[in-house]
Parts: sequence; structure tokens; C-alpha cells
Amino acid sequence: MSLALLYAVACAAYVWHFASQKPLAGRVATGLLLVSVLVHTFELGMYTMELGVPPMAGRTGAISTFVWMLAVSYLSIEVSTDERGIGIFVTPLLVALQALVAHGEMPTDVPRYFATPFVAVHVGALLFAYASFALACVIGITYMLLFRELKRRTPGMFFQRLPSLQVLDRMNMRAVWIGWLLLTIGLVGGALWLRDVSAQMTNDPRLPHMTLADPKILMAVVTWIVYGVLLASRRWAGLTARRAAWLSAVGFAIVLLNFLPVAYFFARSHNFA
Amino acid sequence: MHLVLVGLSHHTAPLEVRERIGISRSMVPAALDRLAQEGCDDAVLLSTCNRTEVYAMAVDPTAMGERIVGCLTDYRGVSRDDIDGTLYVRRDADAARHLFRVAAGLDSLVVGEPEILGQVKDAYKAASEARGTGSVINRLFHGAFSIGKRVRSDTGLSEGAVSLSYASVTLARKIFGDLGKQHFVVFGAGEMARLSALHFHEHVASTTIATRRQDRGELLAAEVHGRVVAWDDRLEALAAADILISATGSPDVVVTEADMRRVLTTRRGRPMFVVDLAVPRDVASEVARLEEVFLYNIDDLRGIVQENLARRQDAVAKAERLVNDEVTAWYGWLRSRAAVPTVVALRTRFERVRQAELERLAPRLAGLGPDARARVDEITRLMVEKLLLTPTEQLKAIDDHETMDACSAALRRLFALDDEAAVNDADADTSAPPDGSAR
Repeated sequence: MSLALLYAVACAAYVWHFASQKPLAGRVATGLLLVSVLVHTFELGMYTMELGVPPMAGRTGAISTFVWMLAVSYLSIEVSTDERGIGIFVTPLLVALQALVAHGEMPTDVPRYFATPFVAVHVGALLFAYASFALACVIGITYMLLFRELKRRTPGMFFQRLPSLQVLDRMNMRAVWIGWLLLTIGLVGGALWLRDVSAQMTNDPRLPHMTLADPKILMAVVTWIVYGVLLASRRWAGLTARRAAWLSAVGFAIVLLNFLPVAYFFARSHNFA
Repeated sequence: MHLVLVGLSHHTAPLEVRERIGISRSMVPAALDRLAQEGCDDAVLLSTCNRTEVYAMAVDPTAMGERIVGCLTDYRGVSRDDIDGTLYVRRDADAARHLFRVAAGLDSLVVGEPEILGQVKDAYKAASEARGTGSVINRLFHGAFSIGKRVRSDTGLSEGAVSLSYASVTLARKIFGDLGKQHFVVFGAGEMARLSALHFHEHVASTTIATRRQDRGELLAAEVHGRVVAWDDRLEALAAADILISATGSPDVVVTEADMRRVLTTRRGRPMFVVDLAVPRDVASEVARLEEVFLYNIDDLRGIVQENLARRQDAVAKAERLVNDEVTAWYGWLRSRAAVPTVVALRTRFERVRQAELERLAPRLAGLGPDARARVDEITRLMVEKLLLTPTEQLKAIDDHETMDACSAALRRLFALDDEAAVNDADADTSAPPDGSAR
């Protein structure tokens, strides 16, 4: 709960900054988020030392690691662009997700499968990819909000507080590119792990389900295709920035579907916790 | 010493007068030299398109004001009659308040405009590099930079555009971010088109003018370092541009929706910012429906400007309060500085008396041990300090030059401080080497 509380305090500071536009408020918000991330890093580091691998198995561990990665990705974008206008949209996501797993049990033991490099690459890259897509989604939404104000010729709250459309577009595309590359690495890592493990553990009941027919795997591939199409059409087919922003938000909706309901209710292949 | 300001600005002088008295950046060092020849060697010259002002230190502010006016008129070859009635002369706290208001953007034509702070910094830098500046001027200008920065960061005075051209640039920045890579095209070469081109060309990568009046187009192109294209080639120019300002006198639409659709096919989804300043309108209103085009007309911009003006009223009041605080702090420092020579003389006098008395009593104190003698020395020193504390504080707290001068004169006379100074000078002379060589 303490981590969710820390993120909530940082979120409040971002709200204060958004409302007041005071540079001091911005610095305080960044500082508080940095403190939250450091505490989170320490906590995850302790679990990693205890387990021997990062605590990515199971719902609580995976979501907490995802929150940490999202916070790190956002902070790196904020530091590199010196733009804090979207912090107010990202931090509530951190608070909500961390609160969701606040009472959950962190893994105390990991299945043997997880102690291999392929799994570390597979799970780590996918979580980081999803964090990047989450960031792209938030940036895409803020792009559309500002776009709407400018298009309607009524510059208001978002006009005053958000960076330019071009900057938002660039941030969005950067996040999508990073996410897509990591998703590719994650999927390849998963396939290599499957090839490895299939040879050794033929009697595991989950292995036969690890095919494209499994909803979780299928959704991951669909996500890869959606973002791939987005990147290709932006680069070669003259897709407008607004449509790219919209697509990045839709892409993340698929990610969320895969991350939560599909993983719990439909998937038969990825139940390791 | 007094601070003196002599100048004229858009509040007092029309453009023709400002143009004639204005001093370009390259002429500033020579102008400062000229002022120095007239005895004004600690001065800053601020000259922009809206103002020409000289800030200087002087013992006799009235005479110095006259000399500065004489310098400016001689230097620019302007007769005194031409600028009479347009000049203002301010002293001390009023002059400081004026500079702080200028740096904060409160005295600008467009209140809160951000460029003026940079111009004030440039003026100070030029003066420091050319002839050096004294401690009062240094502190004054650093106060101005600080207040300019604080007003911008704490009041939001510079947020929001309050002129049509400025509003256009602000909107363009919100779409493209930095305009340094954007290409700008203006349709028309009349006054509206000219003002917009003048405003935009400083920010964009290139400026193109499309007009039916080739001669006027050429003139404008020379002003903004742009190029002119024939009116029939305007859509080609538009396809290569990111920002269009249209301000022709045409009674008909000059860019239809079909025109714009054709233009957009070559742009691969890149956005375009279009400002239609013409009445009747130059750009068909249907163009606004196209996803990549952000179309604003003159009424949209006026609405934004009005809203920003209203929003600035609060910020102006807050900025004025900050300026007043800064003036009080600066003037307090100046006053306390004026009291320093008298305070120093007074302390020297008292110390001299103390030392003399201790010397006179030395035979009677001889029976005391070293510790007791040190105690006596300490007690007398503390007594002197306590006695001087109140007059020192009172003197530093005097808030006008006349009272300060009168009190200083009274103290000097009552305690014979000028005689003290003479004695000091005599002491110094007698202790000089016999050959008269410098020490």
C-alpha cells in the first residue's frame, strides 16, 4: 500500500503543477515521482535478490514490475524533453495499478521455467513493451485532446498546459517504436524458450496450449501486427499524426485486454503463478 | 549620487520621432563614448523600436539630464524642438521603477511581451563591455533581470498572445513546436500581410510572398529576406509551406477546398496552419473540415486576444506589486549606501576619541594587570558601538535624498567630521615619504 500512496502523492503534485503551472510545483512533482521509483526499485531489487529472478511471475509481481517500468519510461521521457504536461495523465495509471496489487502476495517462489535467460528476456521485454504502449496511449490521448481544442479554435486548458502537437507526436512515435521493438524481442524470446522447454518437459499440460490458438498468444501477435501496421503506415503511407495517436490508444486497449481479462479467464498456456 | 533616466518611448513619442532618435546596436559603443565625453561615464543606453532611454549616475541629476538630451540630439542630428514634449526624465526610485517595469514587460506596447528582457540584458552587456559600469548601475540592472524573470515565472504575464500577429505565432508554435524548420507563405503584400510577415520571418526557416502586386511584394521580400512568387504559382508555394497567412484585398475566395485538397495530397499527412486575416475571407470555410488543416480567421484570433487581455489584468496587478517590492529593496540599499561615508567618518571620530582617552589614562591604568587593561579596552569599545548603533540605523532608514543630505551635513558639523577628515588627510601627508614618492 505504501508504494501506491507514494505514487498518489506524486500524482497530487502533478495535479498541482497542471493547475498552477508553477515551475516549483513541477520540480516537486518530478522529485516525488523519482523518490517513488527509487523506493519501488529497492523493493523489486529485494525481491529479485530473494527469488534469484525479478518478481515477474504471478499477477502481483507482473503488475508491480509493469508499474515500475511505466514510471521509469515516463521519467526518462520527462527528463529528455523537460515536458511535465502529461504527468497528470500517467501518474493516475501508476496509482490505480499499484493499488490494484497492494494487497496481493508477491511471489515467494518461482517455477523452474522462470530461471532461464529466455524467460527473463521474454517476460522483461514484454512488460517493458506494454509499459511503452501504455505511455504511447496516454500521449496519444493528450494529443487528441489538444488537437480537438486547436481544431475547434477554442484554445483552453490543454493549449496552455500541453507541449505542441509535433512534440506529442514525436514522443508518441518514440514510445511506440520502443514498445514494438521490445514486443518483437519478447515474442522471439518466448518462442525460443518454448522450443527449449518442449524438448525437456513433454509431460507439462500447459505446453500443448502454447500455440497461436491460445487467446493470450494470439492477442500478443495481434498487438504486434497493429503497432507494426501503425509504424509502417506512419512512415510510408502518410498516416496523419492524429490517426497514429488514435491507433496507439486502440493498440493499448488490446494490450490491456490481454494483460487482464484474457490472461485470467481464457488463456490456458500462461498460468504459472 | 543620483540615478537619472532620460528617454522617450511609444507612450510619449510617435514612430517618426522614435526612428530619428533611435540608436542601432552597432552605434551603441560610439554613443556611450559620446556620453562619457560629456561626463556621463557610468551609463546604459537602451534603444529598441519602441524606446530610447539612458540610465546614468550623477551628482547633479538636473544638469546631467540636460547633458544627456544634448548628447542624444547632437549624436543623431535631431533638433531639440523635434523631441520636446516627448522626453521624460526620472530620478532615483522613479527611474528604478521605470526600468523594472520595462524589464517586466509592463511598459511594453504589447504588455508582457517576452523580447524586452533580452533587449535590456543586451543594453547592459553592451555598456559593461564598452566602458564598464559602476556598482549602483550593476545592482540596478541585476535587479531588473531578476524582476523580469520573476514576473514571467510567477505571474503568467507573458502567457497568451495579445496581438493578432503574436497570437498567430503562438498558435503555430502549439502545432509545430519550434518553428525553425517550418516554411511560411503569405498571400498579399498589404499592411496586414506585412505585419504578419515581419512577425513570422524571425522564427521560420523561409518566407515566401505571393501577391498580384509584384512591386509591393519585392519591397516586402527585401524587408523579411524572403522571395516573391507570381500570384498564379501561389498553390505551388502553399504546397511547400507549413504556415499560410492570407491577407489579400480580393473580393473572392483565393483558396478553395478543392485547391487545398490538391495541395494536401503532396504533403503526406503533414499538418498545415492557415490564418485568414482577410475580410471578405480568402480561404473557403470548408477547408477547416480537412483533418490536416488548422484554419483560423480574424474573428477567431480576436477572440483569443480578448480572452488573453482579460486574463492578463490579474497578472499585471501581481507584477506591479513585485516591481514595487523590488524598488523598495533597491532604494533601501541605495539609501543605506549614501549614509556610509558619514557613518564611517563618525565611527572614525569616536574611535579616535576613545584611543586618545585611553592614552591619556594610560599612566593611571598602569597599575592594572594585562587582563584588566584588556577589559577596559573592550568596555570602552562596546560603549562606542552602542552609542553609534541608533544614529547609524536612523541615518540608513532615511528615505529621501534631501533629508539624508541634511542629516549628514548636521552630523558632520556637530561632530566636526570634515575637520576629522582634514586631520586624517594631514596625518596621511605627514606620514608620506620625504621624497614625495607614491606609496
